[in-house]
Amino acid sequence: MNVYDIVIVGGGPGGSMAAKTAAELGLKTIFFERGRRPGEKNSSGCGLGPRMWKDFPDLMKELTPEKCPSMRAGSAARCYFINEEGVVAGYVMSRPTESVSYEPAKSWITMNCYRSEFDPWIAEFATNAGAELKSSTLVVSLLKEDGKVCGVVDEHGEKYKAPVVIGADGAISIVAKQSGLRTKWSKDQITLVPQYDFHAPPKKIDDIMGDEALAVWWSATFPASYQVFFNDGFHQGLGNWLIKWDKNPLFYLNRVINLKYYQRLLRILEAKPRELQSHLLPWLQYPYNTHTDGVILIGDAGGFPCPLEAEGIYPAMVTGKIAAEVAADAVTSGDASKNKLSRFDKMWQKTSVGEEFEAGEELYNIWKALPFSPKETMTWFVPMLMEALGGIYDWSQPHTKRVRQIAAHIKSYMPQALPFILKYVFPLVAKIFEDDLDDMMDPQKLMKALPKVMELLPKKKKRRRRS
Amino acid sequence: MDVNDLTNHIPGTGDFIKIDQNKCNGCGMCVRICIVNLWGIKNNIAFIRDDYKEKCLECGSCGQVCEPGAIDFNYPAGGTGVIFERG
Ligand SMILES: Cc1cc2nc3c(=O)[nH]c(=O)nc-3n(C[C@H](O)[C@H](O)[C@H](O)COP(=O)(O)OP(=O)(O)OC[C@H]3O[C@@H](n4cnc5c(N)ncnc54)[C@H](O)[C@@H]3O)c2cc1C
Repeated sequence: MNVYDIVIVGGGPGGSMAAKTAAELGLKTIFFERGRRPGEKNSSGCGLGPRMWKDFPDLMKELTPEKCPSMRAGSAARCYFINEEGVVAGYVMSRPTESVSYEPAKSWITMNCYRSEFDPWIAEFATNAGAELKSSTLVVSLLKEDGKVCGVVDEHGEKYKAPVVIGADGAISIVAKQSGLRTKWSKDQITLVPQYDFHAPPKKIDDIMGDEALAVWWSATFPASYQVFFNDGFHQGLGNWLIKWDKNPLFYLNRVINLKYYQRLLRILEAKPRELQSHLLPWLQYPYNTHTDGVILIGDAGGFPCPLEAEGIYPAMVTGKIAAEVAADAVTSGDASKNKLSRFDKMWQKTSVGEEFEAGEELYNIWKALPFSPKETMTWFVPMLMEALGGIYDWSQPHTKRVRQIAAHIKSYMPQALPFILKYVFPLVAKIFEDDLDDMMDPQKLMKALPKVMELLPKKKKRRRRS
Repeated sequence: MDVNDLTNHIPGTGDFIKIDQNKCNGCGMCVRICIVNLWGIKNNIAFIRDDYKEKCLECGSCGQVCEPGAIDFNYPAGGTGVIFERG
């Protein structure tokens, strides 16, 4: 029997962060990875969010192109809008705006680097801190005493005992299953994300994309697809909840690749497909059943990816660190009961991840109803948006007439847009502004303001002529 | 492009996906969700292709979508199976 203070299943960013923290707190720590090395089983966008640099500056300042050669900063992002005919109806490029408050978030939106480089890099911090990494090893079951978890068993029948087991084993978590915390995700809690990796010469990416190393393809013909550029290649992937796939996911991903516009981009980038990947990604309104006697679930295993865009690496690291701290306390006090470990929930709820989930339901709902509902929503949303953004760049009519045409056309989408706004946008706004909103929406104030607003709107088109 | 040219596998996985044909209701969700087309339906019952061990991307969707719980997806032996060099 191998005895430890803490056993961590999974060597992804969550597991490594937990192992690093536990070892630094003096716990005898082991973490397991089924791949030959961390990262080789993982598929991700993979953009790293700037909150990682904010919260873990000492760690993240060590991430350099010497260690992770695939690094490329996503300083600006393109949003392409594709209509029902599969035509790129327009796009918007944006950089971090004036209201972004800290570095490096002012300089870039994400830092992109492959998981095959990032995961081993972060695991090394854990092993340097004294944690033992057991790779090429699959954990197959949990060790139990009196029905309570007290360790794990690997595929060779080897047992590893510890008062606390951390489930950092990702979307399909044996720890969640065998501890009774969750048998399976429901189909609206888990997304499938297939993804291509393309090779492209770094110089071509520099010349053609510049620092616009991120893109989202919003479309009426497939669920929103992301594009993330690395030093010598890029990912193109898309996902949706299991409940929403009406055809094979690759059918939709290939729709992106087969866009005329996309094919042109591939040609000029001299891009060639290099790898095909497929991975599950939990995407929830709110994490639930995160712990029980002797067990804490973190990262994907606990359902922590962001409810709006499913950024999951940062939440995995945050929850991994907290879980190790809670576990250390449990080990020292000799109490790893569910009650004791419930401090885990209280702690993550206080972090930036917890704050994100305060509007979890509203964020989740709007994403589900908008970019992930191509047929139902994007078919009117794309032309409506493009009318507003691009309608005026037109020489077909006198511009005043164009404005009226545009207004009338936008108005024609209102039967779809208004219910959408009421159902998805208002609840989100209400949640975010909570108390302020009561004030803003005070009927008396509104009634007072309304006549003034109405006065500003022209009632009839005035005929003005120069005399 | 042939998707199988775009994946890499380390042999020695052993069997890691099992189907209980008595539980299968022939709904075909596994066929729909698998992006490398490893599932088929014969006589209203799902089956997995013989060469799945060299082709599976280990996403585990088949097990997740299977409503009657006929598909038992487990990860293959440590250090074997699919590898993502640029995941
Ligand atoms: C296609 C895609 C794109 C994404 N894009 C982004 C993005 O751009 N930015 C972002 O922040 N997030 C992104 N995410 C989410 C992000 O990848 C995850 O949220 C993150 O990897 C979670 O980290 P984790 O440590 O909890 O789990 P994982 O990274 O899944 O790590 C779990 C580890 O445990 C190992 N393991 C599992 N079971 C066992 C077992 N029984 N025994 C031993 N080892 C085991 C696995 O091999 C794996 O290495 C994306 C996800 C997908 C699928």
